[in-house]
Amino acid sequence: MSLLRSRLTRGAAAAAALALTVGLSACGAAGEEQTEGPTRQFKADNGTVEIPQDPKRVVATGYAVPSLIEADAPLVGISSWERGEPMMSDEDLKTYKDLPKVAGETAAETNYDAIAEQNPDLIVIGVPKPIFAEIDAERLESIAPVVAIGPNVPSAWREVSHKQADAAGALERFDEVKGEYEAKAEKLKDKYADALSGLKLAHVGGYGEVENGNFQREFDGSWGTNIAGDIGATYYGEVKEKGKGSRAVSEYPSLEELPSAMREADAITYTVNADGSVPQSVKYVLDSNLWKNLPAVKKDMTFPIKYTEAATYGQAQQTLDALDESFAPLLKK
Amino acid sequence: MTGTQKTGETPVLERTSTVRVPVGGRAWFVQRRTIGLVVGCVVAMLGLGFVGLSYGTSWATPGEVFGALTGLEPSVVIAEWRAPRVVAGILFGAALGVAGAIFQNLTRNPMGSPDIIGLDAGAYTGALLVMTVFAGASVTVAFGAVAGGLVTAALVYSLSRSNGLSGMRLVVIGIAVNAMVTALNNWLVLRAELEVAMAAVGWNSGSLNGIDWEDLVVPGVVIAVLLTVIGLRASALQQSALGDSIAVSTGVPLERQRLLMVLVGVGCTATVTAVAGPVMFVALAAPQIGRRLAQAPGVPLLPAALTGAVLLQFADLVAQMLLAPVSLPVGVVTTAIGGGYLIWLLAQEVRRR
Amino acid sequence: MTSAPPASPPTARTARPAILVVGLLALFAAGVASVAVGARAVPLGELWGALADFDPLNGDHLVVRDIRLPRTLLGIAVGAALAVGGALIQTLSRNPLAEPGILGVTHGAGFALTVGAALGLAGSAVSQLGLGVAGSVLATALVYAVGRHSTLRLLLAGVAFSAVLMGVSLGIRLTSPDTLDKYRFWAVGSLAGREQTDLTVPLVAIGAALVGALVIARSLNAIALGETVAHTLGANVARVRTATLVLITVLAGAATAVAGPILFVGLIVPHLLRRLTSGSVPWLVGLSAVVGPILMLVADTIARVLLHTGEVPVAIVTAFLGGPVLIWVVRRYGAGSL
Repeated sequence: MSLLRSRLTRGAAAAAALALTVGLSACGAAGEEQTEGPTRQFKADNGTVEIPQDPKRVVATGYAVPSLIEADAPLVGISSWERGEPMMSDEDLKTYKDLPKVAGETAAETNYDAIAEQNPDLIVIGVPKPIFAEIDAERLESIAPVVAIGPNVPSAWREVSHKQADAAGALERFDEVKGEYEAKAEKLKDKYADALSGLKLAHVGGYGEVENGNFQREFDGSWGTNIAGDIGATYYGEVKEKGKGSRAVSEYPSLEELPSAMREADAITYTVNADGSVPQSVKYVLDSNLWKNLPAVKKDMTFPIKYTEAATYGQAQQTLDALDESFAPLLKK
Repeated sequence: MTGTQKTGETPVLERTSTVRVPVGGRAWFVQRRTIGLVVGCVVAMLGLGFVGLSYGTSWATPGEVFGALTGLEPSVVIAEWRAPRVVAGILFGAALGVAGAIFQNLTRNPMGSPDIIGLDAGAYTGALLVMTVFAGASVTVAFGAVAGGLVTAALVYSLSRSNGLSGMRLVVIGIAVNAMVTALNNWLVLRAELEVAMAAVGWNSGSLNGIDWEDLVVPGVVIAVLLTVIGLRASALQQSALGDSIAVSTGVPLERQRLLMVLVGVGCTATVTAVAGPVMFVALAAPQIGRRLAQAPGVPLLPAALTGAVLLQFADLVAQMLLAPVSLPVGVVTTAIGGGYLIWLLAQEVRRR
Repeated sequence: MTSAPPASPPTARTARPAILVVGLLALFAAGVASVAVGARAVPLGELWGALADFDPLNGDHLVVRDIRLPRTLLGIAVGAALAVGGALIQTLSRNPLAEPGILGVTHGAGFALTVGAALGLAGSAVSQLGLGVAGSVLATALVYAVGRHSTLRLLLAGVAFSAVLMGVSLGIRLTSPDTLDKYRFWAVGSLAGREQTDLTVPLVAIGAALVGALVIARSLNAIALGETVAHTLGANVARVRTATLVLITVLAGAATAVAGPILFVGLIVPHLLRRLTSGSVPWLVGLSAVVGPILMLVADTIARVLLHTGEVPVAIVTAFLGGPVLIWVVRRYGAGSL
């Protein structure tokens, strides 16, 4: 897949370079032409918006950045998205680095001037709803149609990235990657069917507001668990006091409660960084004597999971590979 | 006072600069400094304003800027996006400078400025509550900020107001309330999801990004009214700054005077905070810097307003340019510039001795 | 403002040893509560068992030995350091608002940690400690260099410098959300989760500085009466000042590095005690070292039970305990009496 992908991107890069030279020789006249193609109605978080059927110049921010780069959407400007960098493929990372940045990490510092400069025909804002209020939508709408498509729960990246790719007219490539992911997940599901059936899992996470002295426990549908769920892993239990968004699927109890929380688990998975190192909040749990006393730990049934923050089908394939690698010892038991 | 309204245009300026110095010979000197300061600040504002209108992803030529301003060569970016930002910098900077000067006069303590005694933190609490508990539109974030700031101000004021108001007590109680409110804010941020937390931190650093003419109408009117009110009362403000006994003997109705000044100071801070978020440190630094530039005793209002306007305008330009094309929140820069300049001034004074 | 009347009432004088005894008893009670209370319900019998007859496979024993006991000791050290640091700086600056945080110590440490995290240096607990202490020492040195000639200027420089650092670290945090996430760990002071870290160095530093504070308190007593009086009494004002500042920096820097910024303990404890110690700086320092830990342990115990879904960082509790007390003191006695 990576071979095909790299060839595709290289072709696109060459085409872009050509277009750039032509544009330069045309001496700035290129940007002035407004494409008045056919439009369609699109339902987004900010209501139903009329967007071009085949957008040519797309600006993306937030979660839309990795998903639209991966779907080979016609991007002309993006926000910076540091947290996604470790999970991008080399080609995608290069695209990410090369594209002009039009916004910082926070939505409040969107550079309207720079977005207007790119003369886009569609703006995809990939931030959760409460954040969208921070953006001057009216001003953006004066530049180009704006669609807001953001996640509200950790596992929502599937629908969110699909909608983002749909809006940007890049479904073709998106479906290709999605198909690859699903095929791979199906294969792994068969492979681990026996090993995972009836296995009660628990997950120690490292995302969000893990305070000192606390640990994050993730249940089904959270960052660390949703992709494992696709290959048949089930995490038992549920959040004591459900909140909104990610707080419905994960909680942050005190370390003192570790034995009571995970005593019944047959196996425990935990989040590790992209380079395999253990994040501090997880290391704190792993280094404690309470952890070493857990039945699952004593039976050596603990598995690190990399790339738990995947938010696109391409990134999630890396997570699947990481799961396969980590779960391999299960097959021997 | 002493009949100093010679130039009809700017009676307020004249009065603030001369009233505070009873010695005739020195009063003249201060006045000249003040005029120089006014001219210098206006020139700086115009220059910075021009740069602000020209600066963007690509620089506009002077011709384009003038064309956009006069309407001969319409440009949405310059007239509708950049111009309100420039005006906001001047307006909000002046408002914050005056608010700081008022509180520093009242409390007779440079640390008695609104950002230290909890108004900004209270506004942040209001905004945080709106973002996390009642996740809603930006209108309500502004409303939450104003409400939070006003509630905090009322709390501080009513707690420090038994048997008259003592400046020192107001500062101490303000710091106590500020710490409690800040703790509450920290807790709210810790509870929030990472995305919301980042947006909240972004809001908390104060920004002039995305301000439209529409956003400026109400704050502009409010600030203009408040500044006029305080300008007319400036002489009484100086009186109360001299001390309770002097003020009482010269017949200034103290209690009412103070309440009025507190209301103006709170009003200025809350209005700016609602639109731009808490732009820290302008209210603390501008009056102190202005006082030194004007070489005036006490904390005069006019130099504070002018310095505040230039400071915020300059900071906003730096914020846009520093990491271009990604722009920083202006609050980050105001703290760095304002604080750095204040330290430099303090160091200069040390050297002179 | 802070210098008490030279002739203190005899009742307060004789009451001081009694206050010390009561304080020590209260400290013991607070210590027991801090070991007994937590998210996991530990029966009282197991509590004694954990200390006398430790069983490494018993969950209750592990919680007491591994988590609560170190945390209690840390609370005592941090509480004493902050309270004594506050007592010293208030006496030295004769400003009732003076607090280690105002001198820039807290923000110096915070800035160093943020920069360290952004550069990838703050990975290990030891390097975090180093960064925190180094940052607070540098910050204090800079602020002192600018403002050493007058108290007001010292405070002004401290506030200005803190704000500059806050602005810059906010900028770093905003442009790098990873750092933001790490910073949030450190931004609110807490005693939780430190038990695996080797805290020998900061705790030894705090212990040594506490002893130093008691030694220097006598000379500070003379300075508290005014610099001219101090000169006539033969105290070397400059040397005592410098030594006191070093002690303050070490106390506050080490406490901040291990527990994060905890406000109000350094402000409120000396305020409460000043009246009881009737102007004697050695007594003020000694009692602060007892009452500071009590406040800290009580606050930390409350922090554990306040929410049943998890803990609240202790700095939030100290702010809510200390804030109203300060307001009450100001309203009761007036700001001038501080």
